[in-house]
Amino acid sequence: MMNYRAARFSIFLISAFLFLAPSLSAQTVPTDDESVKNGETLFKNNCYSCHRVKEKWTGPALAGYQNRVPSIEWTIAWVKNSAKLIASGDEYANKIYNEYNKSQMTAFTNLKDEEILDILAYVEVEAAKPDAAPVVVTEDGAAPAAGVPSAYINAIIIGMIVILLLLLVVLGFIVSTLKRVVENRNLSEEEKEVVESPITLSTVTRSPGFIFLVIFLVTTVGFKTVIDGLFTIGVQQGYAPKQPIAFSHKIHAGENEVNCKYCHTGVMKGKQANIPSPNICMNCHTQIKTESPEIKKIYAAIGYDPATGTYSGKTEPIKWVRIHNIPDLAYFNHAQHVNVAGIECQTCHGPIEEMEVVYQYSLLTMGWCIDCHRKTEVNGKDNAYYDKLIQLHEQSKGKNNKMKVEDIGGLECAKCHY
Amino acid sequence: MRIGHTSLAVIAIGLALAGCKAGGDNPGLEYAPNMYHSVAYEPLSQVTDTTAGAWVNALENPSVKGEYFNSNYFNGKSTFDRKSPVSNMREPAPHTVKRNAYGWLPYRNKRVSKDSIDLVVAGMKNPFDSTKALVAEGKVLYEYYCQHCHGKTGAAESKIATKYPLGVANLTAADYSEPHIFQVITHGAGNMGAHGSQVSPDDRWKIATYVRTLRKK
Repeated sequence: MMNYRAARFSIFLISAFLFLAPSLSAQTVPTDDESVKNGETLFKNNCYSCHRVKEKWTGPALAGYQNRVPSIEWTIAWVKNSAKLIASGDEYANKIYNEYNKSQMTAFTNLKDEEILDILAYVEVEAAKPDAAPVVVTEDGAAPAAGVPSAYINAIIIGMIVILLLLLVVLGFIVSTLKRVVENRNLSEEEKEVVESPITLSTVTRSPGFIFLVIFLVTTVGFKTVIDGLFTIGVQQGYAPKQPIAFSHKIHAGENEVNCKYCHTGVMKGKQANIPSPNICMNCHTQIKTESPEIKKIYAAIGYDPATGTYSGKTEPIKWVRIHNIPDLAYFNHAQHVNVAGIECQTCHGPIEEMEVVYQYSLLTMGWCIDCHRKTEVNGKDNAYYDKLIQLHEQSKGKNNKMKVEDIGGLECAKCHY
Repeated sequence: MRIGHTSLAVIAIGLALAGCKAGGDNPGLEYAPNMYHSVAYEPLSQVTDTTAGAWVNALENPSVKGEYFNSNYFNGKSTFDRKSPVSNMREPAPHTVKRNAYGWLPYRNKRVSKDSIDLVVAGMKNPFDSTKALVAEGKVLYEYYCQHCHGKTGAAESKIATKYPLGVANLTAADYSEPHIFQVITHGAGNMGAHGSQVSPDDRWKIATYVRTLRKK
């Protein structure tokens, strides 16, 4: 934040002010459409970064400025060089300066008086407009759309249960009717035995068919669980450890559209994508969400005092927990995959921009690596290194046979194990 | 009921193995951890348990408590001190300055106030010519490092700039020289933080070249 006194300008300022004052005395804000339109462009280009018309932004809301500032001339002088005005000891200038934590407004010496007046014209027109209807943003914008199919599924399941219950009732009726019919007949001894033989729990459980079915089911399910269980040994897919600071990729990469490579700067340069150092966090978080308890953890780690904006020099490492662990027996390099192959982060890391807590999305097993090396075409676009290889490959295997990673040694043991 | 018992045993083993699956804070069961964990110091990893895997080198060096985690006691002398194992990264040779791949020395101009910035960058020159290919490279880098604040067109129309009062500069309106942009990326300006540690000097010049093309003529 720029925070400096321009005391050395004071003499210069007073003389300039005396010189300018008479010439400015007759300034009025224009109202014609052309000025307003011109003012809009100028406002968007010069002021919009720090000012909104109706909202307090980096600087004050501009609506109703005419009721606050001493004069139009004062406003022009302020826009052109606020530091001068502050240094001159102007009461209102110093009040504003102190109110906004002594952050200096950029001096727009290049703006002409008429241009500033045009901006003011635009501000007045804009301020007079009624507020736009507030945009209703629901927290879970996608929820209603996603809820409809699940409601259908519930209805279908309930319907099916009702139908099954009805079937049960109907079957019960049929059984009782049949029993009554049989009871009214004269049956031989053999037939009686069959009809009266009770269907109890023990007769069912002892029947060979039932025993076979149970054993079959138990062994199949059992073996499936065992095999699945064995496959998870040494595979950390789904690992989502709690991190020391609850950093959300959903907010940063998803909602705020920060590029992955902004923070993970190593991803194009070397083996590791890198966990960003806190100075990258501080590029934004000197300003944004300074009150959040999670952000305060960063401040504590780097010894930053948000009230004064100073560093104490006492630092403490943030102990992030590593999620993706490629075993030491295999070599993996991010730069090759990101720079040369041009693979998106999401191909291996999944929908990272939707993850509140990051989990390991891919298997990271050898089979997973090999599978991709078999399927993926070599990215030869704008890369002369591969030109001859691709040419030779197409000569020997035909035009339609694209060169895959496996064709240039992507499956060789020593590519990864050495 | 021998078959029944076998089935029960199979299910029990299955359930026991299901507990090996990773999830939440549990990294899952590891097979052959001494082949998985690096003996050399692995970046972004931490020594959480200095006694883990002590049996690995108990035979060779019974006096040294071994572990899988960056445990090679030949790595740096302070790793002998098992209580505070540290990295074995080497410091650069004294009184030497690293040059980058282009042979450039590090950029040393300090962060200065807005008024003095043009004095500081006076005499500096973009070492790259503004060719089409270079601007294209700059555009890609701009997308990585600048777009989320300054917006796709440079007019500060990004989500962050419209959501938070940061005072993001409108790059289409300002007439900044390339060295000026280079200095601002390196050391920051206003609310913008210093990006010198993230973006290499050559990349900064490429971005500066591209940012100049964003200006509305």
